[in-house]
Amino acid sequence: MSFIYVNNISKQFKVVKRPSGLKNAIRSFFKRDYKIVDAIKNVSFKINKGEIVGYIGPNGAGKSTTIKILSGILVPDSGTCKIKGYVPYNQRDKYVKHIGVVFGQRSQLWWDIPAEDTFDLLKNVYDIPEDEFIKTKNELIEKLNLKEFVNVPVRQLSLGQRMRCEIAASLLHSPDILFLDEPTIGLDAVSKQIVRDFIKKLNKEKKITVILTTHDMADIEALAKRIILIGKGSVLYDGSLKKLKSKYDNNKYINIITKDKINIKNKGIIKKERTNNGYKFIIDSKVINISAFLNLISKNATIDDVEIDNENIDNIIVKLYEEYKI
Amino acid sequence: MKLYVKSLSMHLKSMLEYKASFIIAFLSQIMVFFSYYFIILSLFDKFDNIKGFTLYEVLLCFSIIQFGYAFCETFARGIDRFDRLIISGDFDRLLLRPKNIFIQVLSSDADFIKISRLIQALIIMIISLINLNISITPLKVITLFLMIISAIVIFFGIFLLAASYCFITIQGLEVRNLFTDGGKHMAQYPIGVFKKGFLLFFTFVIPYAFVNYYPLLYFIGKSNNVLYAFTPLIVFVYLIPCFLAFKLGMKKYQSVGS
Repeated sequence: MSFIYVNNISKQFKVVKRPSGLKNAIRSFFKRDYKIVDAIKNVSFKINKGEIVGYIGPNGAGKSTTIKILSGILVPDSGTCKIKGYVPYNQRDKYVKHIGVVFGQRSQLWWDIPAEDTFDLLKNVYDIPEDEFIKTKNELIEKLNLKEFVNVPVRQLSLGQRMRCEIAASLLHSPDILFLDEPTIGLDAVSKQIVRDFIKKLNKEKKITVILTTHDMADIEALAKRIILIGKGSVLYDGSLKKLKSKYDNNKYINIITKDKINIKNKGIIKKERTNNGYKFIIDSKVINISAFLNLISKNATIDDVEIDNENIDNIIVKLYEEYKI
Repeated sequence: MKLYVKSLSMHLKSMLEYKASFIIAFLSQIMVFFSYYFIILSLFDKFDNIKGFTLYEVLLCFSIIQFGYAFCETFARGIDRFDRLIISGDFDRLLLRPKNIFIQVLSSDADFIKISRLIQALIIMIISLINLNISITPLKVITLFLMIISAIVIFFGIFLLAASYCFITIQGLEVRNLFTDGGKHMAQYPIGVFKKGFLLFFTFVIPYAFVNYYPLLYFIGKSNNVLYAFTPLIVFVYLIPCFLAFKLGMKKYQSVGS
C-alpha cells in the first residue's frame, strides 16, 4: 500500500447565501438561506514515500480543504484516507507526531519573543527528548542559517527570516511528511532560493515526503517532479511536470532586435508585437520551425540580435486552467 | 500540565516585552476595580443594610466573586478568548499538535494584568473578614475555602460554555457577557437581596447561589444549616455538562470545517 493513500474523498460546506445590502443583511439575520458547496469531489491519489508533489490549482479550488483533511483537521463527508497506516482525522493524537505543517500565511511562532523560545515550547508539545531536541535544533539552525536572528523577537524579523524560522519550527520533531502551504509567499528571491534548496536537501537526505501547494510555479519547477492539478474540487491532472510542459512546449517566444520594418504573415505565427527596438513573436514550432522562421525574417530585414525563449510555466498553467475552464 | 506552566511563562515573557503598557494597564485595572468597590461603599453610605446584609457581608461576597472571576481571567484566558482562536484560524494549528486540545486552548492565552484585580479582591476579602467579627471554627474555614474555589470553578464553567457556543456561531461574545459580566455584577451581592425569581434562576440555571448565597448564610451565621456549608460542591457538578458541551462542539467543528 502506498505511503499516502487518498480514495474518493469528498467534502461539502454549507455556505450562508446573503446578497449584499443592509436590508438583506437584516433579513438573513432572521432567516438564513444556505447553499451547499462542493469543496472537493471524489479526489483520489497515491503518493509514495520520499516523493515531492506539487499540489496546484487556482484560488478556491480545494487545495486547503485537501490539506486540512490530510492533516487531520477536517473529517471528509465520504471516502477514505490513509497515511502511514493512520486515518488522520480518527487517530489525530498519534498521527500528528509524524507530520509537519507550514502555513505560509499563518504563523506558529510567538510574536513577541524569540523563535528559540517557541522551539522550546514545541519540545514540550511533542515530548522530544532533550539530547535529540538539541541535535535537531542545531542542525536546523545551521542548515537554514538562523544563527543571527534566532534570539531576536519574531516581530522584528523580516518575512524571509520568519519563514525560515517557521520551517524550522515545523521540523523539530523530525516528521516523515511535510505539508507546505504556500511557503514562499511574499519572499524575496534570495529567501526563496534558501527555502527551496533546503527542502530539496531535506527530501534527499531524510527521505521526507513533501506535499507543496503554491502559486509560484518556479517553486514547482525547482522542487516537484510530479504535480497534481485540482480545479473546482476535482483532480484534473496527475503526472509529471515534464509531460505537462511538453504538451504546451511548442510555443516559442522570439525577440528580434532590428531597425527594419517587418511585414510578414505566415502560418504558425501566433502573435506579433512591436517593441521599442524590434519585434516580439510567438510562434508554434510544430507548424513553422525556428530556422524556417528566422530565414523568413532575414529575407525581409537585417537581424541585429535574437532571443529565443520557451513557454514559461506560468503561461502553461494559465492555459491549463483555461482548457479545463476553471 | 507541564505544557500549561511552560506556556504561562511564555505569556509572561511576551507581556513584559511591553513594559510601559504593562504598568499602565495594571494601574488602570486598579481604578476599574475601585469604581466597583466605590459603588458599594456609596450605597451603604445611604442605607446601613440591604435586606439584612451589612456592608462587610456584602463586601465579602463581592470579593469572593471578584476573586474567582479575576482568577479565571488570568489563568483561563485561553478559554475566555476562544472566539479569537477560532476566527484567526489558530485553532487549526492546535489540532495539528499531539496534545490534549483542551489543555492547549487553556495554554493559548493568559492575562497577567488581571492579577492586580486578584490582589485587590484578596485585600478586600481580608478587610471584611477582620471587620465581620465571626467566631472562626474549622468548618467555617472550610466553607470559606470552598466558596473561593467554587467561585473559580463557576466562572471556568461559564467560560467553557461560552467557548462551546463559539464552535457553532464563530462569535459568542454577547451571550457570554450576559452570564459572566451580568452574572458577576448580580453575584457581587448576596443573591437573596434580589427577587425570588433571580434566586431560582441563579440556583438552578447558573448556580451562582451555591457560590455566594447559601454558604454565605452559614458563614456569617444567618443560618445554622451545616448542609449549606457544603453547597459550593454542587458547582463542580455543573462543570460536567460544560465539558461535554465543549467536546460536542469540537466534533461539530471538525465535520463542518472552517
